[in-house]
Formats: sequence, C-alpha cells, structure tokens
Amino acid sequence: MTRMLLGITLLLAAAVAGAQVNIAATTSNMGMLARTIGGDAVQVRVMAPPDRDAHYLEARPSMMATLRRADMVVAVGAELEVGWLPAATRGAANPRVHPGRPGYFEAAAQVSLIDEGQPADRRLGDVHPTGNPHVYFDPPRFALVGEALAERLAELDPARAEDFRARAQAFSEQVAERMPRWQERANSSNGVILYHKDADYLARLLDVEVLGYIEPIPGVPPTARHLRDLVSRMQGRPEGIIAHASYESSRGPGFIQEQLGWEVHALPTNVALDGTAKDYLDLIEAWVAALSG
Amino acid sequence: MTKPGAALLVLALLAGGAQAANEPSLTQLLEKLERLEQRDRERQGQLDALQQELREARQEQAAVTERVIEERRQAAPVEVSQGPHRDPLDRESYRMRARALGDGAVTSGTAFNPAISVIMDGVYAAQSRREIESPEGFEGHDHGHGHGGHGGHGGIERGFNLRETEITFTASIDNYFDALFMLAIEGVSNVEVEEAYLVTNSLPAGWQVKFGRFLSDIGYINKQHLHDWDFVDRPLVSEFLFGDHGVQENGVQVSWVAPTETYTRFGIEVLQGETSGIAQFEGDERFTLVTLLPDFAIDPVTGQPVPVASGPNRIRWRDYLGMSEKSGPRLFTGFVKIAPDLGHDHAIQIGASGGISRSWQNVVTHSSGRVETWDGDAWFAGVDAVYKYDAGRSFGAGNVVLQGEYFYREIDADYASRSFSDFGTLTPTAAGGMEDLFSGTAKQDGFYLQGLYGIAPRWQAGLRTEGLGLRNRTLEPDRANNVFERASTSWRHSGVLTFRPTEFSMLRAQVNYSDFDTDDHGSVWSFLLQYNMSLGVHGAHSF
Repeated sequence: MTRMLLGITLLLAAAVAGAQVNIAATTSNMGMLARTIGGDAVQVRVMAPPDRDAHYLEARPSMMATLRRADMVVAVGAELEVGWLPAATRGAANPRVHPGRPGYFEAAAQVSLIDEGQPADRRLGDVHPTGNPHVYFDPPRFALVGEALAERLAELDPARAEDFRARAQAFSEQVAERMPRWQERANSSNGVILYHKDADYLARLLDVEVLGYIEPIPGVPPTARHLRDLVSRMQGRPEGIIAHASYESSRGPGFIQEQLGWEVHALPTNVALDGTAKDYLDLIEAWVAALSG
Repeated sequence: MTKPGAALLVLALLAGGAQAANEPSLTQLLEKLERLEQRDRERQGQLDALQQELREARQEQAAVTERVIEERRQAAPVEVSQGPHRDPLDRESYRMRARALGDGAVTSGTAFNPAISVIMDGVYAAQSRREIESPEGFEGHDHGHGHGGHGGHGGIERGFNLRETEITFTASIDNYFDALFMLAIEGVSNVEVEEAYLVTNSLPAGWQVKFGRFLSDIGYINKQHLHDWDFVDRPLVSEFLFGDHGVQENGVQVSWVAPTETYTRFGIEVLQGETSGIAQFEGDERFTLVTLLPDFAIDPVTGQPVPVASGPNRIRWRDYLGMSEKSGPRLFTGFVKIAPDLGHDHAIQIGASGGISRSWQNVVTHSSGRVETWDGDAWFAGVDAVYKYDAGRSFGAGNVVLQGEYFYREIDADYASRSFSDFGTLTPTAAGGMEDLFSGTAKQDGFYLQGLYGIAPRWQAGLRTEGLGLRNRTLEPDRANNVFERASTSWRHSGVLTFRPTEFSMLRAQVNYSDFDTDDHGSVWSFLLQYNMSLGVHGAHSF
C-alpha cells in the first residue's frame, strides 16, 4: 500500500514537473525565440514553414490542430499573419490563445515599430497602418521582445520565472556581443535595394541606406515600368547591392542586376523549423554580409 | 620643461633628423601624432554612439516594462472578435476578424464600431436559348420564393445583372459573444437577412455555440457566400436539393473541436425548418378560391345572353388543405469534418453530414382551379471533400484545388389533388374534396466535382462537372398509376477563368454547357461574366 502511494506520488510529481507550456509559434523565428527563452519548460510547434512568405499563407488544418492544444501563441503580429492566424484561431476554438489573453503574444506589440501610422489606403498597396511588422530583422529589438516573452512566460509558469529571465538576458548579451562587428562591417555599404519593406529594420539599425524597393508598392509584384524607373534612378550611383528573401521572385532583382551589374543576394528570412539562437544570429550575419556589399 | 632641456630636445631632434633615414623625421612624428589623435576621436565617437544606444535600449526597456505593467493593470481580458468556427479548408471570407493589439490610439475613437464590409457582385449573361428550364423533377421547389425563377442559374437573367450586394457588420458584443449581421440586397430592391447570429467566444475545451440565423455547416459550399465561390453560380446539387441559399435557417448550432493531432470537428444543429428543398413548410392554412360568375346566362334555345335576376356573382370557396401542423424546430442536422496534417504543402478536409426534417410540404395551384398538395417528411445525407496544394509560388501560381460533394435526399410524402368539375356551385366532385390520393417516396441525388489551377500569378482556371438526379424518382405524380414519376439525369459542365488583380477585386468569365432533362430536351450554352469587389475590412489572402 505504502509502495503504491509512493508510486502514485512519484507519478504525480513527474507529471507536474513535466508540465510544459505548449506554444504555437507562427514563424520559425518566433519558434526559435520561444525555445531560446522557454528552454525545457516549453514545447514549441511552428505553424508557418520558413521558406514561405508568412504574409501570404492560408489557414491550414495543421495550424488549427496546433492552436487547439496550445497554451500560448507566439506571433510576429502587426497584421503580418492577418491572412491566416485569425482564421486558424477560429477553427481551433481555444479561447486561451485569443488576443487579449495572456496566451496571446505578439512581438510587434512589445516594441516600437517603424512606419507606424501610415494612411490606411489600399491604393498604397498592402499597407500596415500599425507599423512595419518585420521586427525580427532588428536583433536588439528582437532581444527586447525576448525579454517581454520571458515576462509573459513567467505569468504562465511562475516557478520558472527566473530561468526565463536569465535566458532572455543571455540572448540579449549574445546580440550585444555581435552588434559592434555588424556595425563595423556595414560601414562599407553603398546602399541596398530591397524587394519588400522587411529588412528595413536591419538597414536602419546599421545605418545602411535603402535605395529603393523591387515592389512598386507593398504586396504588388514589380512592373516593368517601376523597374526601369528604379534603374534610371540608380544610374551613376556607386555600386550597391540587391537583397531579397529566397521565396521572393528573382525576376525583378535579376533585371536590375542585368542593367546595373549589381550583386544580388537571395537570403532566407527565417531560421529552420528547429533553428537555434545561433542560427538566428548567423542568419542576421548573412544579411549583414550582404548589405555590406 | 626647463629651457636647457628644451634646447637639448630640439638639438636632439635636429641631430636625429640629420642623422639617418631610418629615424622618424619631425613631419613623420607629427603625422603619427595626428593619426593617434584621429583614432582617439574616432574611439570617443564610437563610445558616444554605444552610450547613446545603451540609453535608447534602456528607454525602450522601460517602455516595455511600463507596457507589461499596464497590461497587467487592465487585468480584465479584452476579447477580440474571433467569430464562428470554421473548418480548415473553408474559404476565408470577409467575416469576423481580430483587431490587432497595440493600435496606439489615445482614444478608442471609432474602434468600438462594428467592422463593416460591402461586397458588390454583378454578372453579365448570354445564352444560346431564350430560357434554361429547370431540370426534370426539380421544378417545383421555389414556389413563392420571390426569385427570378430561372432554372439552373440562380436567378441570373440575360444581360446585365446587379446580382447581390452584401453588407456585413461584425463585432464583439462582450467577452462572451461575438456577432455578425449580413444583409444581402438582391438586385435593387429585394433585401434579405442572410445571416444574423451570435457566437460564443470563450467556451473552454473546444466548444462553441452559435445561434440566430445562419448558414448550416453541412457539406462544404453550404456555408459559403456567393463571393467565396470559385465559379459564378451555385452547384446544381446545392441549388436544387436544398434551395437558392442552401440550408439557411434560424436555429442553434453546437460544435466541438477535438484536441487531436488530426483536426476533427463535430456539430449538431437544431433548425426551424424552412429550407425549400429539404424542409419546406406550408402549415394548414385555409385555402380560398374565388370564382366570378357572369351576371347573365346563355339561353339554351336562342343562344342569346339573358340577364340573371338575382344570386351572387362572386363565389368564395374556403377549406383547410388538411396539411399536418408541425411547430418548429423541424430540421435537425449533424456534421463531422476531418482534416489530417499533410504538412505545409498539402491539405485535405473530408466531411460527412446529414439531416432529418419532420416536415416537407408543398402546395401548387393551377389556373384550372386544381390544387395539389404534398405532405410528409424528409432526410438527406452527403459527403464532401476538398484538397488543396500550395505550390509556394507567388499569387497562387501553381496552386491546385480539388473539391467535390455528393448529396442524397428522400422525401416521403402523401400526395393529394383536388379539382372541381362544377364551378357554378363549387362543390368538390369527390367526397371530402380529395382525389388522386396516394403516398410515395421521392429519391434524388446530385454531385459536383471541380478542379482549379493557378495558371499564372493571380490567374486561375478551372473545370467543373455536375450531375443532378443520377437517381431521380421525382415528386411529379403519375396520377394514372398513383406513383411518383421517374426522370433521367441532368448534366452541366463548366469552365472558368478568374483574374484577381488584388485580394479585394476579382473578375471572372465562365462557360456553361447545360444538358438538362427538360420537356424539350434541349442543351444550352451560356456565357457569364462576373465582377466581385470588396470594400472595407481587410480580406484574407486566398488563392
């Protein structure tokens, strides 16, 4: 009898100790952050594949099944996932992860954003009046997001609060450690043409001039006229570079490259599904190397 | 430094300068000094920049902390509209949408107003025959429904049609309920409440309750609005087995999403029962027939009209039709949807649904004065499946959507026909006013199968094939043999090309070849052009 009781107690203790916070991350960068901050205390599933534009996904059954069982959703926010996250959340019928609840975490809501308060006019394309959502392109900002996430996780699992804070601190330090090197490298940049307004954060952070965009307006594919205009504006400038996400069409960038002879860099914007903090910093480093020309 | 010392240094320097080439000259030393000072300035600059950064980071950190505190202070959870359950492969429509957090506005402004969207839809139609008749065995269902009554086209007339303008309001009522109200203006004057429902937003464990007026979740296309379709028109099986609006009812729905790896959702609905195809209800209303008699009679001898001295020249006949009176709710449905996880590129959703109607009634009057009635009950069952492939290319290029549904319906009805041989007295010839009385069961089904492919960014082409009445024991009485008649299958084949300049606008061309079983057995080609534009709330990124 005593043995049985002991067994049950042990089982219960194991169950309590093993209780992990079930996190549904929208993108693999957010998944990386959740794992980095949460450590063993969290179980993370990523809903959007890293090789797709998170802006143009459709709600999928796997997302709903993931959200149904999640204690917390960790999203980029600022309407980046507006096309599918609300829809997937509706399909999941899990009020824990509804906006406004502790189980709903938006990175963009934790820091200030660039391009906030733009006019909400569809003629300007797929605009985000709440601000540019691509905060993961700004490592110091992203480190702050990590610290906010640690606080949020501490609410859900107060016993491990200090662990979360310590890990967030460690991530911030890793970012700070690489910053001087990145800044130094970027000094040599002659400016960059981006495809979409996403790496703006990194360009601004490193004081790299954004010379133009392949998209005429956000969310609209490049037109021949826009590309010709872009080329003529760039004529006579010192040689810059063209950088775009690997999922974006290489035709527009290819045209600019042909006309100006500038180098084109097609880079991932998200770490692999199980990417680590180091992968993330390496990914940023690859962008820095590209921007530095 | 003392004077002799200084002089000595100068001497030494001069001597050094004159001495040999490998000793640094004064200018070199000065240059070096300059370089050192330069480096010092640069370092100072970097230091300043770093300090500045640190200050900014601290300020931001403070802001974050403030924000977190603020969030905690407002401990009451603010529910943001999530809307009704949807299934994985449902078309994302312009329904409830979460408002993003952190708008940063100082006042709530108009933020508490419902989200509004207006969707405009128009069609131009041309066809090879004047009229498309309804398929045999499916003619009578829309009596008194107030539509154009064109069979097989959902009321589209030749030429320009302002088909439907949808106005949708959505908002969270409070932290328990969300609401949606959707008006459809068909043409220019016919206003209908398409949906008006409340839905719970915070029930735990995957439960949700929806009540009010809504589109049933049976099948796949039933809960879609016109702007969600991949073709201009509603599939025949939906239009003729259920009705012009599918199963659109007042009632309650309870659904549950299971906490499984494979998305699984179950639901039951208790509905009033008014859908023409499956739950049409007339009730036992008093039937009135008025006959006008001439105020003269024909003299049988002379053949000349002779005035009638007296007697009523207007005769009114009233009686109850003897239909069973069944109070609502009369229609009960259930459904299950399953969508296994096939990774990021592929998705499939399979559904099964069915329903039982306690009542199916119909009354048809003829100018001859004959009245036909059907009184009985009905049930239906069906399966639906959707497969989607996401090619990962931009603007839907290379994407594939395959979709199909099959439904079977049985109506078990008592048929009665009343006619009156002598209008002068309005006395029924048969005792009790009934003749041709018999019971029978109509058994009908239908399916559609469609495939769409993103031929280029923003362009989508598709094919659809449909069969209606593969099994077709109709409700048409064969009065000679006291049975319901059989009819053969009607077919329709369609090709469609859709261009979506943005997510908010859509232009579409469609060709239909209708080979219906009709009285004149004529096939019809028709050509349809459609526009569909949305104003207001951000639409989702659909294919």
